Amino acid sequence: MGRALQAWRIQRRVIFALMIRELTTRFGRENIGFLWVMAEPLLFATLVGFLYRYMIGTEEHGVSVVAFIASGYIPLTVMRNSFGRCLNIFVVNGSLLYHRQVRVLDFIIVRFMIEMIGGMMAYLVIGTILVFFGLFPVPAHIGFLLAGWCLYMLFVFSVCLVIAPASESSETLEKLLPVTVYVAIPLSGTFNMASWLGPKARDIVLYSPLVNGMEMMRYGLFGDTVRPYYDVSVPLGASAVVAIVGLAMCRRVRRTLVVE
Amino acid sequence: MISCSNLWKSYRVGHGQKQVLKGIDFAIAPGDRVGLLGRNGAGKSTLIKLIGGVELPTTGRIRRGMTCSWPLGFHGGFQGSLTGYDNARFIARIYDRDYGTMRQFIEDFTELGRQLRMPVKTYSSGMRARLAFALSLAIEFDCYLIDEVIMVGDKNFQEKCHFELFEKRKDRAILLASHSLSSIREFCNRAVVLESGHMTQFNDLEEGLAVYENL
Repeated sequence: MGRALQAWRIQRRVIFALMIRELTTRFGRENIGFLWVMAEPLLFATLVGFLYRYMIGTEEHGVSVVAFIASGYIPLTVMRNSFGRCLNIFVVNGSLLYHRQVRVLDFIIVRFMIEMIGGMMAYLVIGTILVFFGLFPVPAHIGFLLAGWCLYMLFVFSVCLVIAPASESSETLEKLLPVTVYVAIPLSGTFNMASWLGPKARDIVLYSPLVNGMEMMRYGLFGDTVRPYYDVSVPLGASAVVAIVGLAMCRRVRRTLVVE
Repeated sequence: MISCSNLWKSYRVGHGQKQVLKGIDFAIAPGDRVGLLGRNGAGKSTLIKLIGGVELPTTGRIRRGMTCSWPLGFHGGFQGSLTGYDNARFIARIYDRDYGTMRQFIEDFTELGRQLRMPVKTYSSGMRARLAFALSLAIEFDCYLIDEVIMVGDKNFQEKCHFELFEKRKDRAILLASHSLSSIREFCNRAVVLESGHMTQFNDLEEGLAVYENL
């Protein structure tokens, strides 16, 4: 127990140091510094949100189009960026493995956390600003919003655990990943609620852990205006399976990793 | 005590495997000063990386009963895009040391002055060596793993290393890989020679050096 506590303290320290290091190397100390981390999800979500507003109108199915798109786009950007950042992550951070307390798992945790925190900050900023213009609802059930967010992110993180080691052994992954993520957008729940689909399509999308998380977030945000379909066991179960596979792969890759 | 038992390490080369270390049994006791000799490609850096935990052995075990530095060499341990100070801050954080004290020590030891505010990738190899030594001396390890790098320093730096490692830290162990016989003579009291994946140990330093010279 004492040893586990000690190990946890070391890992917490390492993760904190790595986060600071990552933020300084990526954003520097100039102008807004690490606040850039939320710039991309913020701009993406707002601009795409307004684009849709002009294309299809201010409201659809009784919810604000800007709010609907923004609330879907932020998790999507977090997912896309986290996946991208996990490519070749062991090799590019190799020189840090000279310090024995740094684990390859820490690299993945750090990069994922930075993207996720950036997304949460963007969410908060967009929500707060748009609420004043009446374009964004005050969350009806904040607990649902947070729970959905956590389940969505849990699944994203577990996929990161697979992408990072897989990218070390396969170069094709790097080429195919962006298009795969793009094609999988219908399975992320970004642009629609499951209830807007026909029963057959709905049954299919509900196999996606992301859709289940997104449905919960949408319900937490819009309340009874939308009708959510979700089953927490889908994202929990899928994440557990994917994470176990990913951890085993990380372990295997670490054993044969060549560090300059 | 750091002990390696039956260490094997192979790397993938194309479709084949290259066996670099073939069953190394080796131990470093506290206060031991071991010179690691061998021709280019004999596996000196590989062995140092395994002992430092940078890479993992294919089979075999390493037990570390005392603290052991990261391999001090031309690569690794630093982030090239960060400044000397930022690297020091990072290392102070992960080893849980006070940054203020550490900063003072590296300023005194490296004598790099304003250069410490520049990214490490702009440093010469001698400057890197100074920084690497300063950081690891500031942390205080029981055993220092040194891969070549001590030789690139100038006379002033060599003298400092000698003072810090031999007068102030007499009780520490070192493992020094080098081709410079004079440094091995200066810093070590026994030698091991790596050849085609096997290790021969010599308690008599001169005997080991003679074997190495005839390789």
